Amino acid sequence: MKNARAEELSDDPGEGGALSVLDDLVAGALEDQQAREQQTSLAQLQEMAAAAPAPLDAKRWLRDAGSVPVIAEIKRASPSKGHLADIPDPAALAREYERGGASAISVLTEGRRFLGSLDDLDAVRAAVSIPVLRKDFIVTDYQIWEARAHGADLVLLIVAALDDAQLKHLLDLTHELGMTALVETHTREEIDRAIAAGAQVIGINARNLKNLYVDINVYADLADNLPDEVIKVAESGVFGPTELKNYARAGADAVLVGEGVATAHDHVLAVHRLIKAGEQVKSSEQTPLGTHEGPYFGEFGGRFVPEALITAIDELEQVYDEAKKDPEFQAELKRLNEQYVGRRSPLTEAPRFAQRIAERTGIEPRVSLKREDLNHTGAHKINNALGQALLVKRMGKTRVIAETGAGQHGVATATVCAMMGLKCRIYMGQIDARRQALNVARMRMLGAEVVEVTAGDRILKDAINEALRDWVTNVKDTHYLLGTVAGPHPFPSMVRDFQKIIGEEAKEQLQEWYGIDHPDAVVACVGGGSNAIGVMNAFLDDERVNLYGYEAGGDGPESGRHAIRFAPGTGELGMFQGTKSYVLVNDEGQTLDTYSISAGLDYASVGPEHSWLKDIGRVNYSWATDEEAMNAFKDLSETEGIIPAIESSHAIAGAYKAAADLKAKGYEHPVMIVNISGRGDKDMNTAAKWFGYLTDEQEAALEGNGTPGSHTA
Amino acid sequence: MTQHDQSTAATPSGQPLGIKHQPSPTAARIDELKTQHNRPAFIGYLPFGFPDTATSVDAVRTLVENGCDIVEIGLPYSDPVMDGPVIQRASQIAIENGERIANVFQAVEAVAAAGGVPLIMSYWNLIFHYGVDAFARDFANAGGAGLITPDLIPDEAGEWIEVSDRYGLDRVFMVSPDSTDKRLGIVSRNARGFVYAASRMGVTGERDAIDVGPQTLVRRTREAGADHVCVGIGVSNAEQAQLVGSYADGVIVGSALVHTLLDGNGNAKADRGAALADLAKTTASIAEGVRTARQ
Repeated sequence: MKNARAEELSDDPGEGGALSVLDDLVAGALEDQQAREQQTSLAQLQEMAAAAPAPLDAKRWLRDAGSVPVIAEIKRASPSKGHLADIPDPAALAREYERGGASAISVLTEGRRFLGSLDDLDAVRAAVSIPVLRKDFIVTDYQIWEARAHGADLVLLIVAALDDAQLKHLLDLTHELGMTALVETHTREEIDRAIAAGAQVIGINARNLKNLYVDINVYADLADNLPDEVIKVAESGVFGPTELKNYARAGADAVLVGEGVATAHDHVLAVHRLIKAGEQVKSSEQTPLGTHEGPYFGEFGGRFVPEALITAIDELEQVYDEAKKDPEFQAELKRLNEQYVGRRSPLTEAPRFAQRIAERTGIEPRVSLKREDLNHTGAHKINNALGQALLVKRMGKTRVIAETGAGQHGVATATVCAMMGLKCRIYMGQIDARRQALNVARMRMLGAEVVEVTAGDRILKDAINEALRDWVTNVKDTHYLLGTVAGPHPFPSMVRDFQKIIGEEAKEQLQEWYGIDHPDAVVACVGGGSNAIGVMNAFLDDERVNLYGYEAGGDGPESGRHAIRFAPGTGELGMFQGTKSYVLVNDEGQTLDTYSISAGLDYASVGPEHSWLKDIGRVNYSWATDEEAMNAFKDLSETEGIIPAIESSHAIAGAYKAAADLKAKGYEHPVMIVNISGRGDKDMNTAAKWFGYLTDEQEAALEGNGTPGSHTA
Repeated sequence: MTQHDQSTAATPSGQPLGIKHQPSPTAARIDELKTQHNRPAFIGYLPFGFPDTATSVDAVRTLVENGCDIVEIGLPYSDPVMDGPVIQRASQIAIENGERIANVFQAVEAVAAAGGVPLIMSYWNLIFHYGVDAFARDFANAGGAGLITPDLIPDEAGEWIEVSDRYGLDRVFMVSPDSTDKRLGIVSRNARGFVYAASRMGVTGERDAIDVGPQTLVRRTREAGADHVCVGIGVSNAEQAQLVGSYADGVIVGSALVHTLLDGNGNAKADRGAALADLAKTTASIAEGVRTARQ
């Protein structure tokens, strides 16, 4: 008990001993209570309590699957902070809290240091229809009866001020009177005492005592192993959305907020912001994983874009939501997928490649390849381009813009625009456009206008910047057909939905063609992440399936020449091109140049859902270097007669690493699916040079229409 | 790392800061100009560190000395999606010349010392990376008034709203002609200082003419609850400033000022003195347009 702190009520900052402050406050409260008892006897109080409106079951207000209930406090002053707010009309303030979305009102009735009173409680009780908490230094039966007589639904009990017997007795009385006790604790020991006494709602204080800010680790230590049925109320240090989110992510059910709402300029808005922040956290944690909707995936995602785009993004979200439920839209998408794209793409068993894995790792996997390389235009990109183009028609827009790294998404977009008669402009970094001259010609052949971007580093991210600038300017008639599961909401969810057919088919084909119920592992490369999400989505909620994603390792993480966002010391949390995710930045927060032999994986950030899947540990992310990817490119070509894109070769290189991991986990004959996101025809020049298949003369002849790299993954 | 040492953001007694109930410094200046001089505010933009740190500090001082009331100091960013070619180019030069965010407070102090109101315009990742609380603390200590956040909408600004309340800083969010009434309401309720109304759809940059769009947007934004609405993007000269200033609470000029420091090839003018003289001349000319906007 030496270290016990009665932070919220006693508000002691640390020096001078919390206990003595708490003792003083309790003594004062007791003295005041005795004075009141001279005026109103316990018997009179009991009569008043019988006549009072029935208590509300506050527990029902304090836990909600979709939000973090807020207990908003009427607080004029505190010992440590002194005067906070005058609050001449506590009833009006309580009504504002209620309008902002508060689930309960806390009323301080202590008069000496907190300047509260029972009159405040009466006024608030009469003003609102949500539960009301009496917050005071309660140590006697009289005070409990008093709370009930004045219409309270909740009372505060401070463990540090009570011994075990008193605590149990007061708790029992509270429950007998139909009220709920918020039992305030400060240490794990106090929490254990509260639970032993039968507390149902526990107030937890998780401020880091060094800086007084909310510390998730402190909370986790305190709240570890609490029974599920106990409602956990974060009771100290909540000021605004930042602390609320921290507490909510750490597992708090509800929060109590004083100063942050009592002293706000706009009380309704202050409470409302807290409610919104809680909804954000809750919605971002919903399961199942496979049907998770944005805008947030854990703390990732969102809409970090100029206000000028919000109207268009809102419209897109609304139109997409309608289309999703529209059987005609779904039928049209299905028809085009079959008749135009050529879906289903096969799931090809690769026994000779599997043998290579066996030789290298010592386990004998059964490997199947999901053949997105056989789609029209040669990659998975068309799945998404087609879906979004149908939405463009539905929105009545006439012009499409898109970015492309080295061509594959640009070609897919130009293709569907040609097919549907839409005006199309593709932005491409000048460096990419030069090394992918043939793809530029391909897009022009399809009727698209190709704009070479000379700003910035003249690569994929600069093409996206320029596309965003175009969109901001022409948003009325223009749709930005983003090619991956990044960017602002709704793109990450929407592109995922258009790509998830990859995994759905693979699952079905594995059962239908090979008689295997489920794979043990699914392997994909991860640039922005659309092919990976596409093949993994159907398996996210099947714990039996191990998922592996491989980033572009370039020359390796230590070289600084790579596009690895997930390895330690590489990407950091940040906002980039519309979303919050892991991003490669320098020590100033400026975006770093990335490098990979695969232009399609050469991107500084990654889709927010991947960041979430990484943080919750659902997908194992690692990388394959240029060299590993090129060796894999050769392996698959030689063993199976399938030339993969260099992007996909990162997944193939990853298959060896995944097999090693499966071996370590005890698998002997794992079933593995590797996603071949695209075909490698476009990469032959790079490969020919890499392996020295050409004479100097032949190589020089190829320079004209040169090409490392390919599609954006 | 965004987990800076937060303990500095506390009162002497060791408690975290509460809401700082200080009136908006930006709004106070706008009101003062309106009531005492019957004119809108002239808000000038320049990127920090362009063409180099020392010259950029001289440049923001030059703005104030030549009639600029509020200075919007831009933090150069590698991926500025709301900016047109002129500001992109200037930002790129600044970054190449070694601009460091920690030095921007020198420019903030220079503006404040010259009698201007210092605002910083920044893409959000830079502030987030510095640490929202740490940036607000250092900015407030330097005499800063508030932030303009072109890619942070109120819906995503929870942490910034909380921190700006604690330090008494202004929050300038943007609206565009395309914004619905609902969005105008959300922005107006959450803004502090003023609402930044974009004169047209699109990125920053000079234009020959300004249509009636912004006037409608200013009216709609006021109806949605904003106390102060300033207009920017595309305001390029004294005549346009005069026109916009006849109905807006402030006139924001950026590219036209940045332009005076660039040569014909998109490089920083070699003669810094001559460049600053050009800047002074253009600033004074636009200031005159603003001064006579309501006469």
